[in-house]
Amino acid sequence: MDDQNLSTTRRRFLQTTGATGALAATATTVGLPLGDDTAQAQGAASGATKITKSICHQCPARCGIDVYTTNGRVHAIYGSPNHPIANGKLCPKGPLGIYVLYDPDRWKSPMKRTNPKKGRNEDPKFVPISWDEALQTVADRLNTLRDKGESHRFSLCFGRGWGASCAGLLGTFGDLYGSPNVPIGHSSMCSDGSILSKQCTDGNASYSAYDYRNCNYLLMFGASFLEAFRPYNNNMQVWGYIRGEKTPKTRVTAVDVHLNTTLAAADRGLLIKPGTDGALALAIAHVILTEGLWERSFVGDFKDGVNRFKAGQTVDPASFEEKWVKGLAEWWNIELKDRTPKWAEGITSIREHNILATAREFGSTRPAIALFERGAHAHSNGIMNGMAIHTLNALVGSLYAKGGLMYQMGPSYGAMPVDEKAYMDDYAQNGAWKKQPRIDLKGHVDGYLLAKNMLQEVGPNHLKGKPYKLDTVMFYLTNPIFTAPNGQQWEEALKDVFVIDTSPFPSETGHFADLILPDHTYLERLQDAPTYPFQGWPMAQLRVPAIKPLYDTKYFGDTLIEIGKRIKGKTGEYYKALGNTENVIRHLAKGFEKDPGDNGVNSFESWVEQGVWYKKPYLWQQIGGDFFEWDGKAYAKPMSADDVKAKLFKTPSGKFEIRSGYLEKNIDWVAEKTGRDKARLMFPVWEEPKHPGGGDLYLVSPKTAMHAEGRGANIPMAIAHQQPVVGGRKQVFVEINPVTAKARGISDGDVVKIKSAAGQIEVRCRLYEGTRPDTLVLPMEYGHWAGGRWSKNVFGGHCGHATVNQSDRVTGQCNYYTTKVTVERA
Amino acid sequence: MTKWGMVIDLEKCTGCQACTTACAMENNRLPGENWQDVLFYHEGTYPNVNLSWLPRPCMHCENPSCVAVCPTKATWKTEDGVVLVDWNKCIGCKYCMIACPYGVRFYMDEKATIEPDTRAAFPGDGTRSWNPPYRMPDAMEDPSKGIGIQPHGVVSKCTFCYHKISKAPKGVADLDEANPATREHTPACVRTCAPKARYFGDLDNPESRVSQLIADKGGVRLKEETGNKPQVYYLSGGGAPVVPGQRSNKKA
Amino acid sequence: MTTAQATFKPGLHLAVAAVGLIIAAGYAFSQLAGAGHASFNTTNLGVVWGLPVVVYDYFLLTSTGLVLVASLSLVFGLRDFDPLVERCIRLAIAGLVGGVAVLFLELGHPFRALLTAPFALQTASPLFWKILCVGAYTVVLVLLALDLSGRGTVGVGRRTLGIAATALALLVTLIAGSVYGMMAMRPFWFGGETPVAFLIESFIGGIAFTVFFTYLAYGFSDAGMPAGLKALLGGPLAKLHAAVIALHLMFVLGRAITGLWSNAEGLQVWQYITAQPLFYVGLLGGTVLPLILMAMPSTRTRASAQIVAALLVMIGLLISRYEFIIGGQQVPMFKGSWASGLVHYAPSPTEWALLVVAVALANVVYALAERWSSSRNG
Repeated sequence: MDDQNLSTTRRRFLQTTGATGALAATATTVGLPLGDDTAQAQGAASGATKITKSICHQCPARCGIDVYTTNGRVHAIYGSPNHPIANGKLCPKGPLGIYVLYDPDRWKSPMKRTNPKKGRNEDPKFVPISWDEALQTVADRLNTLRDKGESHRFSLCFGRGWGASCAGLLGTFGDLYGSPNVPIGHSSMCSDGSILSKQCTDGNASYSAYDYRNCNYLLMFGASFLEAFRPYNNNMQVWGYIRGEKTPKTRVTAVDVHLNTTLAAADRGLLIKPGTDGALALAIAHVILTEGLWERSFVGDFKDGVNRFKAGQTVDPASFEEKWVKGLAEWWNIELKDRTPKWAEGITSIREHNILATAREFGSTRPAIALFERGAHAHSNGIMNGMAIHTLNALVGSLYAKGGLMYQMGPSYGAMPVDEKAYMDDYAQNGAWKKQPRIDLKGHVDGYLLAKNMLQEVGPNHLKGKPYKLDTVMFYLTNPIFTAPNGQQWEEALKDVFVIDTSPFPSETGHFADLILPDHTYLERLQDAPTYPFQGWPMAQLRVPAIKPLYDTKYFGDTLIEIGKRIKGKTGEYYKALGNTENVIRHLAKGFEKDPGDNGVNSFESWVEQGVWYKKPYLWQQIGGDFFEWDGKAYAKPMSADDVKAKLFKTPSGKFEIRSGYLEKNIDWVAEKTGRDKARLMFPVWEEPKHPGGGDLYLVSPKTAMHAEGRGANIPMAIAHQQPVVGGRKQVFVEINPVTAKARGISDGDVVKIKSAAGQIEVRCRLYEGTRPDTLVLPMEYGHWAGGRWSKNVFGGHCGHATVNQSDRVTGQCNYYTTKVTVERA
Repeated sequence: MTKWGMVIDLEKCTGCQACTTACAMENNRLPGENWQDVLFYHEGTYPNVNLSWLPRPCMHCENPSCVAVCPTKATWKTEDGVVLVDWNKCIGCKYCMIACPYGVRFYMDEKATIEPDTRAAFPGDGTRSWNPPYRMPDAMEDPSKGIGIQPHGVVSKCTFCYHKISKAPKGVADLDEANPATREHTPACVRTCAPKARYFGDLDNPESRVSQLIADKGGVRLKEETGNKPQVYYLSGGGAPVVPGQRSNKKA
Repeated sequence: MTTAQATFKPGLHLAVAAVGLIIAAGYAFSQLAGAGHASFNTTNLGVVWGLPVVVYDYFLLTSTGLVLVASLSLVFGLRDFDPLVERCIRLAIAGLVGGVAVLFLELGHPFRALLTAPFALQTASPLFWKILCVGAYTVVLVLLALDLSGRGTVGVGRRTLGIAATALALLVTLIAGSVYGMMAMRPFWFGGETPVAFLIESFIGGIAFTVFFTYLAYGFSDAGMPAGLKALLGGPLAKLHAAVIALHLMFVLGRAITGLWSNAEGLQVWQYITAQPLFYVGLLGGTVLPLILMAMPSTRTRASAQIVAALLVMIGLLISRYEFIIGGQQVPMFKGSWASGLVHYAPSPTEWALLVVAVALANVVYALAERWSSSRNG
């Protein structure tokens, strides 16, 4: 998903220029409380306070932040009042960004490993080197590989990409240099299950954008809406509005495996058996159909208007006239007719009356949104669960509706300063690398044909030498030794490959690095970032440095460009022409000249000043089963079926496909690899998930509000507030239901051993009635053995070491929440 | 006379702790030593469990027991109704910590909640007990009001961000982050609260939002039986589970 | 004095106490210089007054109790008690010094306290009155000691000084009780009976210390003791001791039973305390056993029984003071899940060292005073 907004898509206007220039940091100076009468003199003496517009870096949401700097010290971060996501607000991580800047454990310059032996207990013996030496070392390796025709053995893996000036540069690098493995994103370890579920049903390989403020019913499967779901900050703003101010108050049902703040704050919290969310969604769909609650203007109806959906009875597909959905009656006949709430109770353990009540509320309240993320689909049956849940949105007509969900538009970026196509040499166009599969076997019949990325396979595949061994691997904003399931395999894998880490901080992956090319921390960067899926209308933010870099570090985008300049031939020329990331960003901003934002941003300078460009509204809306385009004043321009197919339902049929054309196209491969029935596999159907690991309890590792993407692991203030629900502050507790604990002789506060086929860990437990008796909940955050001083000092093992590396064969989604483990007193 | 007070809407609060961290950064708190904390409670048996939470700043009581017990008058109440600690007078006897019914006071020299000690990572410079590079601008520090880097041997507490609110335009009813004129004068916890569960204003001003909310939505105060009369009110969704004490209705 | 003095070795007493003081203070100072009060096991989570405050109050109340014992002679004219007066006052000063020294090491800014508290006039604070009264009490005690030693007098007469000292001792004790008793937000402490309980405890402590140190002066034997003194220790003083221990026992049991019965938040700590062996050590060993020893005519006249009873009471009171002060803070106030259950506290090595500092310092002061007084006599 990370790269979906990175390229310069949706260029409303294109313009090419080649101007470069120094960044004029036009940060605003404001009158702070200390700026009046008596304090005036003091204020002047101690220097004025400068507010710099930037964006947060601690989760994907990209909240605009106002960074307060006085006397060269950054001392406060507040949400930008003029930023549409932040609206002056922040989540708990936002203010802690200052710690990231002043982390005493940061790399202070490029580093070179001098101990050739690699291992957890091997001191890398890093020594500082110059940037020139560091960059040349990388370039030499890359040039040698390319000369040997082995450029595919260079891989660049990235996690949280931000924009065109960092991760957006990677694809071009892969094309020019010649490696299918540049880049490999982390989306399969994020939430590709959701993206594929949407691609299979409505043709959009993307996360959804949501119009929560106009929604009257929210049905949430997993996702931790009030802990981790992005944009967390805005979710909470929405929550305050829909729950405390809006009339009518939005009703909420939330589904998860333990009682978290989302479930507690919802009207109804349903504690579901892991991996069975699809069964619940099917039962809800069953009730919506049998009780005639579906949105006829969107879905269609029986020709005579008489509802023939009766439990256990098939209907004649010809008798149902479908409007914007495809395959509803067929789905009913082969699957849904038997998926009664009573049946679902047996699968999910949620009581029948609760399922019935939820289905009736969801089916009869418009607009309603069913949303889901990793909890629902990080299982072997993930694609089925995801499609089943997303189909609920179709049944109640929420797609592209006011108060429903849609997809994110990209910003009106200008073109890149240089056209890469002019720099493709023969090797780039026809080199041997073109015939090589990706190391992760993404898009390969032997691997994951339909997946977007398979980062979790890179380590294991390299270890096996299948399809080949990597020579050099570079990491940008990802730490797979820690974040990949069964990271022990990665520890082995990274021993015999040249590793380059670009994190500003020491980490487990960095511990295996041969070279450290440290990035700036985010308050030191000039970096663009189009919005993550938000409310649909386009937006692009800018990080503006609040302070000069504290140390000898380099923005990753510039590191890449500098390496590029040192690649022989046309590739080097391209990067010399590209110049630097500031040049790139200035060119991106050219797009705003012709398409000024709602806030008047029409240039690089005004972008720096405001920190964000955005342009409302979203261009399309479905109203009562008809689609309209924005005509400048209203959603008044009717859209043809072809328009809808081109822009909104990008499926073979141009409709919401309950019978997935995308899966049908790959039916043989899917059937072969999953053993699924060819007559059914293209529909959202129930399939028992496969739970590896060999234990008797599910191990689920959610994110807490303080965790997000783990970039706060070394922030003592975040450690102190990590797991408030059960009081985890110096450590993360594994939550165990008291009944489960008692049966194993475990008492509150005991150190317990959690074992699976992948490995075993020890953590302290807390007995919590809010956790399912068949499930252990261990938030993902700690168990760091490399990294900063605070992260290493937190007691407890890392959940990943007990998590088996299993992925959904269709989506490639890493099955983080499906391993079964045993637990005993340590 | 202005009487600053806060309203916290528990129906809107999501328990995210942003108030806690924003306060901690604004006021240079040590990790885990929260002037403002969000407290979590759960009771019941699976699957019927009640998980609840309560954001808890200092209540800035009308009858503050901490002020009464302080032998050196280091803890005092300002004319605009805020309870502060004068770090130049505090002797570190901690009696105020004993006497505070709400557990919102913090002695400096305790074992670090999070090891290694942040104070050791950013050691003091002779004038300060510790010296984080992100500490507030020198001009904002005011030890006589307990603002800044907490010195050794003294007790600290929430100041309602007195360095901000005390510079607010005179006579305003609300210190609201949405209003550019008062944004910089709004306490950090209120300013950052994403679901807008917090409101700050003049309890003595009938035009203030806090006064209206307390009336319209049935604001209640914690531990009325102590007679401390907090200036922080909670909205719990209409019903008031607390019976006001006889004394709580009388003017101070 | 008498020939029995031969068995008393003030030099040895002083030497032992001084060595103890040097070791304990050396350790405590090194810890405090390095980690400051972080070397205590107190936390902002709940227990903010730890063992040093327990020690301070214990020694302070012992001091006032000793004055109350002395008052029987000085104020109420019970001539039988005359032989105890001088030792009581010396011990009272010694205990006061030991306790206040520890308080100084516990306070964040002790010298600021000395300079500002008396002039702050925060009349609402019991601590303000306590500081004021302890100050006056110290002055009067010194004057009284001077007067008793015959080395100096302020010319107001011993009885006047005695009345003043006694009045101040009563005030200090009652105020010390009020410091806790007034805390309505802490039901474990709250109540008008708390100062009274403090007074009773103070008084038995005074008796126990008088008995113990009297015997110490006579080499833990009544062989060389003057007949009057011996009769006093085995007679009226032992009976008085028994009576006050009995009162104390009633208070302890009354508080514990009331606390165990009540549902009020804050009193659940009684369930915890009564589940700990320490409580029964204090109750049975520190209260019931000495009560029996002093109540039974067959034992109360025996020197060994008196010494054992005194020692048991001294330890029992420390346990009781500890459980009272710590227990009142164990229910966390508004800490939610950050404090799971009661706040647990056990003194750190530094805090234990401060107990030794108080004991050793008080003994040093006392031994010096004994020497000083023998030098006057000799």
